[in-house]
Amino acid sequence: MTRQSQEELREIVGRLPTTRDEDWKYTDLSRARDITSRWLDAGAETVAADIDEEIERISGSIDATWFVIANGELRLPDAASGISAERLDDVPAAASALAELNSALLVDGLRVRIDGAPDKPVGLLFIDGAADAATSQARVEIEFAAGASGEVVEYHASQGAQDHYSNTIVAITVGDNANAAHLRIQSRDLRHVQTTHTTVNTGRDARFRSAGFDLGGGLVRNDLVIGISSPGAEISFDGLYLAGEGQHIDNHTRVDHRVGPATSRQEYRGILNGRCRCVWNGKAIVHTGADGTDADQANHNLLLSERAEIDAKPELEIYTDDVKCSHGTTVGQLDETSLFYLRTRGLDRQHAKQVLTHAFAAGLVSRVPVESARNIVSELVEARLRDIIHSDEDFS
Amino acid sequence: MLEIKNLKSRIGDSEILRGLSLSVNAGEVHAIMGPNGSGKSTLAQVVAGHEDYEVTGGSVTFKGQDLLELEPEERARNGIFLGFQYPVEIPGVNNAYLLKAALNAKRKHHGLDEIDAFEFLKLAKEKMATLGMDPKFLNRGVNEGFSGGEKKRNEILQMAMLEPELAILDETDSGLDIDALKAVAQGVNSLRGPERAIILVTHYQRLLDYIEPDFVHVLSQGQIIKSGDKTLAHELEEKGYDWVREAATG
Repeated sequence: MTRQSQEELREIVGRLPTTRDEDWKYTDLSRARDITSRWLDAGAETVAADIDEEIERISGSIDATWFVIANGELRLPDAASGISAERLDDVPAAASALAELNSALLVDGLRVRIDGAPDKPVGLLFIDGAADAATSQARVEIEFAAGASGEVVEYHASQGAQDHYSNTIVAITVGDNANAAHLRIQSRDLRHVQTTHTTVNTGRDARFRSAGFDLGGGLVRNDLVIGISSPGAEISFDGLYLAGEGQHIDNHTRVDHRVGPATSRQEYRGILNGRCRCVWNGKAIVHTGADGTDADQANHNLLLSERAEIDAKPELEIYTDDVKCSHGTTVGQLDETSLFYLRTRGLDRQHAKQVLTHAFAAGLVSRVPVESARNIVSELVEARLRDIIHSDEDFS
Repeated sequence: MLEIKNLKSRIGDSEILRGLSLSVNAGEVHAIMGPNGSGKSTLAQVVAGHEDYEVTGGSVTFKGQDLLELEPEERARNGIFLGFQYPVEIPGVNNAYLLKAALNAKRKHHGLDEIDAFEFLKLAKEKMATLGMDPKFLNRGVNEGFSGGEKKRNEILQMAMLEPELAILDETDSGLDIDALKAVAQGVNSLRGPERAIILVTHYQRLLDYIEPDFVHVLSQGQIIKSGDKTLAHELEEKGYDWVREAATG
């Protein structure tokens, strides 16, 4: 099933980033290397778990035209107007060891094109579940045609609890005057390791709104790289990460403002409880000549346990004068005055803490860019918050 | 109903209440007046159960029960309400949610079922109408972006919904224009009754033109130095706090 020899594959695995790389300082991919090596040792065969019921359940929760990528294998939906799809044959030259691994082990790639205004969102369900430790790849290219108005929902899930490493590449292009809404829900098993690399390139007067919700996963690294090469782009993205005992969630974002005018705005929020670690690294680069750039980035973290750790780093690089850039990062605990206020209204301490924690996430949930998925996101966030709040005795 | 005896309390190293005694019976309205820093707000916070204030002496009983042993939420469910001087803004929690959660916490404590959603809405809208509040406030974040007057009205709305036996209103009149003051006073007056007591903590006499107290107490340096009827408030307004202080020490 693989295009390259075991030695070549092991050589690529050996070149995956390590904590010696500046961009990977806080995120150790040893577990990904280990899972992949074990999988290669076992003959690189993936025995799929019984996955169909979970696919039904998830795809039934959001009304969308669902493309399912199960353990790296693609299942195409029935035709839907405004949505055309094909398997990917040509994969561009890899720019990193992770991309090389993706190219080398990719089973099915997918290209989706959105024209006009489809009735339903495009759903991409990435689901992994195997009998033994396994590695899977996914690669999806999404094109919003010029003037199109559409929605994409990515749902990253697991079937069962098993060591699994998934490496996903998503490339999105938003054509001139197109209006794109993008939602990423990550609800992986706590033994799952994932790396995702998403690129977004926008055309003239294009609009891209996105939100990512990291609600699970043992070790998660998401890279979101946005390039603005035509004027008039309006970009806005949010991220919420909820981490409980033992989790590690790393979000790296990068926005390249190559021309102006254009706006980009990002807001990431994290709620951490128990022994866990999260990383937010937001980079905005305003290149020479990108006059009229307006870039704003914010990252706020709520640490509910003394054992939770956050590394938050905004990075602004500005090479032109006519710009408006701002950033803000906060790390804090629940506000004692608010807690007392709620308790004087009869809510017990635990309930008051829950209310304030939910409130911290509520703003991002209310802005989920794909409206038909807002309720399910809200439910998933509530459920995950309950789990991480109750998983740790610090929260009492 | 409320018996405070020789109460001493401090925050950090500074002693604020220095042997305060006060007795409040059902049906009574007490006004506690005093200059800034006299301990008025501390008294309100201690009765509500704020953990930053350490009680170093004395006792507080409510309906015969030792109040100081109870958590703030237990005090609330037992019938104590504190209207905050500076109500907290809590974006992301809507007003309706808080009102309902507060009401249900109390109902559960008294062995009642949760309030029906329809009944709740009807009750909330009724109370809002009497306070001159737009029902839209139900769907806003708690005090989020509210003006000073709106926040105070919202406190009174919570009080009206919870129907406490003892309401302590901490500087509820501060920062209110005359219309808001009248609305707030009306809300408070509508709660007056033989089974309830109200303590108004205030710096100025103005509020007492609209809510007539049965007793007025002057607090200075953590003690009540003079008590009287409503005429005392007028005297204070004319002569200032120094007059009582001098009278008390001299």
